[in-house]
Order: sequence, then structure tokens, then C-alpha cells
Amino acid sequence: MKWTTNLKQFPYPFKGSTYRYSNNSIPMENPVSIEITPNYKEEMQLKRELLHHHSERCYQSLPHTLTGQWEIVDLVMNHLVTAYPQFFSLQKSDNEWTFHNKLLDETQSFTFGDSTTLPVEPLHFISLHVQEDLIYMMQRDGDLYLDAGQLCFPANWSLTFNLGMAFKSIHHPIPGFKEEGLDKRILQFLMRLEAGNPWERKNWSLMAGDRLDTSIETFVEWGKLRKQVTKENVGELVHLRVEVQKLFRLPRTNSILFTIHTHLLSLEKLTSNPEWLQQFYNILSELPPQIYDYKGISLYRDAVLAYLSERLESEKVR
Amino acid sequence: MTHDAVFIENKRKYLFCADQHGMKLLSDVMEQSSEKEFFRFEEEPDWTSFTSFLEKQKIGSYLYVSLPKSEIYQARVLAEKLGFSEETAQFIGYGENVVRVFCSRCHSINKTVEEQREILCQQCVLELSISDHYSKKHNAYLGYAAKL
Repeated sequence: MKWTTNLKQFPYPFKGSTYRYSNNSIPMENPVSIEITPNYKEEMQLKRELLHHHSERCYQSLPHTLTGQWEIVDLVMNHLVTAYPQFFSLQKSDNEWTFHNKLLDETQSFTFGDSTTLPVEPLHFISLHVQEDLIYMMQRDGDLYLDAGQLCFPANWSLTFNLGMAFKSIHHPIPGFKEEGLDKRILQFLMRLEAGNPWERKNWSLMAGDRLDTSIETFVEWGKLRKQVTKENVGELVHLRVEVQKLFRLPRTNSILFTIHTHLLSLEKLTSNPEWLQQFYNILSELPPQIYDYKGISLYRDAVLAYLSERLESEKVR
Repeated sequence: MTHDAVFIENKRKYLFCADQHGMKLLSDVMEQSSEKEFFRFEEEPDWTSFTSFLEKQKIGSYLYVSLPKSEIYQARVLAEKLGFSEETAQFIGYGENVVRVFCSRCHSINKTVEEQREILCQQCVLELSISDHYSKKHNAYLGYAAKL
């Protein structure tokens, strides 16, 4: 699938000339949990196919999450109609709500808080209307637990395996995360998150190919492209994968909604911006092995660096 | 979880939850206890029935569980959820140190001996590399695709 990417809208993630794991969250200027991009219809079709054919992999929830799921429906629907009134509308008469998605020409009436009035669970339902993956973290006993989620476009992790898992255990595979005390600090930060003051961060990796659904379950299908990167195809094949992650406190259940919007940009397009080219070259050439290993870059890092270096040379000639 | 069962005196009631082999390991303790009740595990543990059995017990009961090492952890997690603690329960695992491995492709649980680093998933035949990423819920380590 070819994704339309407007360079001006691309959430370019880098600052400075080095990269390390850190709590790079910032308060949101525009506190909206979702974003509609020109790829909306294509991504919704893909997401719905995945949810239909691979529901166990893409949707999980523990039974005690229903109240929190309704909080998510409330928050996300309000964001949709406030930020995109041309695309969405919502009529409320007490608890009788009617949601209209004009982009997909769909209308759903339901009783707010009564899950039997929706065809699927509330979190599942609202996820069918947004490009973001939606993760619900419940706070209890001084910890955060992944108790529900809709995940179609993961960067090589499994929602099914991580269901019910505590924050630090979820992040256990990240190199240095525990050793440097980042897991504890970020957990503390998240537990202090306040309603009405959402935060966001960008996370990045490189990938061979342009699949949004890089689930761990399908790794053997998409991971093999890492071995097919050549000097000739690297600019087109390798993509910068950026996740815009947003964090909202849900006050009623004292839990957290974590939305992930994944964007892809080919190296070819990325490097058409000379500043990005230079900065990305600096960062990648300095990146410690344990980070590029974890981000799955090892097999084709040399090809990418050679490509960036060549592009930099030709920039100088110009 | 590898020690022998020790008899603790003066409890109101003793609960023995084990499979066939586990019951043998608990037999000495059983002989010493007065009021007792049993829960028999089959080869594939029925955790729902085990939970119901524990739920109906009153305060003052003392719990003994004996199962293969691959299952004993799950029994402990469920019992602790229902309020049993180190003061009110003993968990006797037996057999090889078995680890459970969650297949990252098909989600099935594979059992293997602790020393093994790579296994073939019994369900989907993917070669799995056993990681140290652990899920309490699944009582299993994540198995990644070992090769591309």
C-alpha cells in the first residue's frame, strides 16, 4: 500500500545530533487525542480487516474495563466532533447518543453506558473510527496495568501477550530501560498525569517495507524484508516509522488512555529535506548498537548509512 | 517451591490440592491432619474449579498444593488472589524445572526444560528463541521467531 505523506505534516521526531531513550513527553499544545490524515479511509479499511480476521491479536480487554471503555468513547467522540466537525457529529439526548461518521457514511445510535446497545465493546467500537491504536492502562496498587487495547499497527509487540501486564514488565525488553531507572521514572510520571493536562511524545524506528501492521505475530512475513535491502532499493524500501503517542488521564476510573498514531516516510522522501538528512545521518551513525539492535536496524544499517552519506555528498555538489 | 511439605499444627481445617503424584508427596502431612478436604487436579489443571474450591473455604483453613513445577506458579497466583499467603499455604512443585513459552506467532503455550534456549512451537512449528520477557497472566516467557 502506498501511503500519502505530506512532508509538512510528517511528525519528524529528532532533536539534536544524538538519540537515547528518555522521557521525551511534552505537554500537548492542542489537546486532541486523535488526528485525521489524508490516509484515513485506507487505514480504516485496513484496520477493520485486521480486526475482523485477527480479532484475538488486535483486540483484548479484561472484564473490569467497561466503565473505562465508556470514558474513552466519551473523550474520543468529543474530540472527533470538536476537532473535525466537518467529518463527525454527535447528538445527545440524556444517555441516548447518535454518532455520525460522515467520512465513512455511518451512523450509530446507542445508550451511553449500556454496552448491549453497541455491536461490539465500547473501546472496540470507537477504534473503528480512528486511525490510532488505543491502549487502556488502569492504575491500581501504585502501578499501571495494560487491561484493554485495540492494536492493529504495533511496532513488533503483542497485545495478547502483554494483556494484564504491569508497566515495568511491558517495557522489560527495552535495552537499558531498567538499568538506567527510566522505567521507574516514567511510571512515576504517568501516575501523576492529571485530567485536562494531556502529554505527547514521538517514538521512532526504521523498518524495511511500508507495512503498518508489523505485529510480532506476523514477524516472519515482514521481517524478511530486512534481508532484501540493497544499495539500489534502500531509499524506497526503508521507512522511518514514527509513533505519535498521546496520554490522557481518565478521571472517573483514574486510568490512562494511550493513543498511538503511526506514520511512515520513505528514506527517499525524508532525505529530500537537507536538514533532516544531515540530522538523521548524525543520529544514526552515533546510535549505540543495543539501540539499533532493538529497533531492528542491524541488518541494513550499513546500507542506510551509505545511502545517507551519498545523499549528503550530492547535496554538497549542488 | 521445591521443599517437602511441612505439617503446621493447630489449624481449623487442612486443604490438599494436588494431582495424583502430588497427593503422594503430601501423604505424610495428610496423616497428621485432622479435618481435611481434597481437590484433585487432572493432567490439565482446571483452574476455574480450583478457584471455586478455594473461594468457598472459610478463614482458618490451611492450604497445601502439589503440582508439576510448570503449574505450581499459577496455583500460587490464584491462591494469593484469594487471600492465601505464606502463613496460610505451602506450594510443593515437583519434577523438572519446566518453563512455559508463549509462541509469538500462534499464541500457544509450549513447555520445555529450563536449560533450553530455542524450541519448535508444537502448534505452528515456528522456531522460537526463548526471551526473558515474562507474563504473569500467561505464566510464560515470550518466544520470538528465532530466524528470519
